[in-house]
Amino acid sequence: MKTRFGFIICCVVLNVFWSSAFARQENNLADNPKRLHEASEKQGSPLLYPLKFYRDYISGSDGDRCPMYPTCSQYCMDAVKKHGSLTGWIMCSDRLMRCGRDETKLSAPVWINGEKRNYDPVSNNDFWRQ
Amino acid sequence: MRIRYICFGSQLIPLVALFFLLIPFSKSFAGFEAPPDRNPSVMITPDKQFDYAENLFSKHDYSTAVMEYKRFIYFFPEDKRVERAMYQTGMSYYLGGDFKAAVDSFQKLVDEYVDTGYAIKSYFKISEADMKLMAFDPAIINLNNLITVTNNGDVRDEAYYRLGWIYLEMASWEKGGQYFSKISAKNKDKYRLEKLAAELDKEKLIPKKNPNLAGVLSVIPGAGYLYCERYQDALIAFLLNGALIYAAYESFDAENPALGGLLAFVGVGFYAGNIYGAVTSAHKYNRKKTGLFLERLKDNVKINLSADVKNKGVCLSFQFGF
Repeated sequence: MKTRFGFIICCVVLNVFWSSAFARQENNLADNPKRLHEASEKQGSPLLYPLKFYRDYISGSDGDRCPMYPTCSQYCMDAVKKHGSLTGWIMCSDRLMRCGRDETKLSAPVWINGEKRNYDPVSNNDFWRQ
Repeated sequence: MRIRYICFGSQLIPLVALFFLLIPFSKSFAGFEAPPDRNPSVMITPDKQFDYAENLFSKHDYSTAVMEYKRFIYFFPEDKRVERAMYQTGMSYYLGGDFKAAVDSFQKLVDEYVDTGYAIKSYFKISEADMKLMAFDPAIINLNNLITVTNNGDVRDEAYYRLGWIYLEMASWEKGGQYFSKISAKNKDKYRLEKLAAELDKEKLIPKKNPNLAGVLSVIPGAGYLYCERYQDALIAFLLNGALIYAAYESFDAENPALGGLLAFVGVGFYAGNIYGAVTSAHKYNRKKTGLFLERLKDNVKINLSADVKNKGVCLSFQFGF
C-alpha cells in the first residue's frame, strides 16, 4: 500500500517538474486573442499538442458547443502561453469545471456569430495575481 | 451715271470698315460666351477655415474635423483661435474614441499654454482620457501637475475632487477620502461632500469573500466554490475530484499503476484547479460587489463635471436614485 501511495507522490512530483521545465513566463502579451492564438500556435509546449489535436480533429466533428468565449480549448492555450504549463494546466482544469454552469450567470454575455456566449478570458481569472 | 457710282463707292468703304469693327460686339450680343476660367481660385480666410472645422465638429465628423483644425493651425498660426483649435482637435480625438491621440493632443496644448482656460480644461480631459484607457497612474500624475501649476482655488478643488474619484475607482477608499477632505470649505457644498462621506461610510458594508479562506476550504473539493456562492461549480468540483481520486486509488489497488498514474496526473490538475478557481471566484465576487457599490455611489452622489468652453465655466449636474 505504501509503495502505491509513493508512486502517486512520485507522479505528482514528476508532474510538477515536467510542467515547470516547460513553463514559459511571458506575461507581456496583451490580451489580444488573435495575437495570443498566433503565438500559441508557434509555441512548443507539450501541453499544446493534445490541445491542438483536440481542436483540429475532435472539436470539428464534435461540434462547436462550448458556451464560453474564448472556448475552453482556446482558453487553455492562452493560459499555457501566458503562464506556462503548470499554471496553464491548473487554470485549464478550473475552466473545464466552471464551463457552462455558474459562470454563464456571472460573466458578461457576448454575441459570436449570432450566438450568445459568456466572456471569460484568461485576464478575468488572473487579474488578482498581477 | 458715273457720278452715282463714285458716290456709292465712297459710302461703301466706310460701311465695310464699320462692319468689321462691329464684329466683336456682334459676337458678344449674339450669346457668344467667353471660355471659362480653367483655374478658379478660392480665397480661404481664417474665418472660413475655422467655421468649416467647427461645422464638421458639430456634425460629429470628428476624423475630418481633426484634419481641418490642424489645417487651420498650420496656415494661420498667428490667429487668436489657435488655442481653441488645438483644444477642439483633442476633443475630436476624444469624442471619436481615439483616447491615446486625445491625450497627446491635449498634452501639446498644455505644454504650449500653461494656465489658460483651455489648458486647464485640457488637463481635466487628459485625466478623463487616461481613465478611459484604464491608465490610473498617468491620470493621477496629470491632475497633481495641474494642482502644482494653477493658482486658482476652484480649479484645485476640482482636481482634488477628480483625484478622489480616481482613487475610489481603484477601490482605495481611504485615499479617495483624503483627497475629498482637501477641498476648500467654500466648495464643500458644491461637491456634496457631506452626502459623499455618508455614502462612503457604507463601503464597510460591501459583502466580501476572503480568497485565502476560499483556498483553504477547497481542501475539500468544491467547498471553496460553495463559500463563493457557486453551487453548481461546487457540486461538479466535488463529484469530479472525488471520482478521479477514487478511480486512481482503485487503479493502484488493482495493480494497474499505469492507469492509476494517468488518473492521478489528471486528478492533481483538477484538484489544484479547484483551489485556484475558488481563490479566483472570491476575487471575482469582491470585484463585482465593489463595482456595484461604486456604480451606486456614482449614480447617487457624483457630480458630472463637464468643461463648457464657450462660457468659460464649469457645468455642474447631479442626480439621485430613489
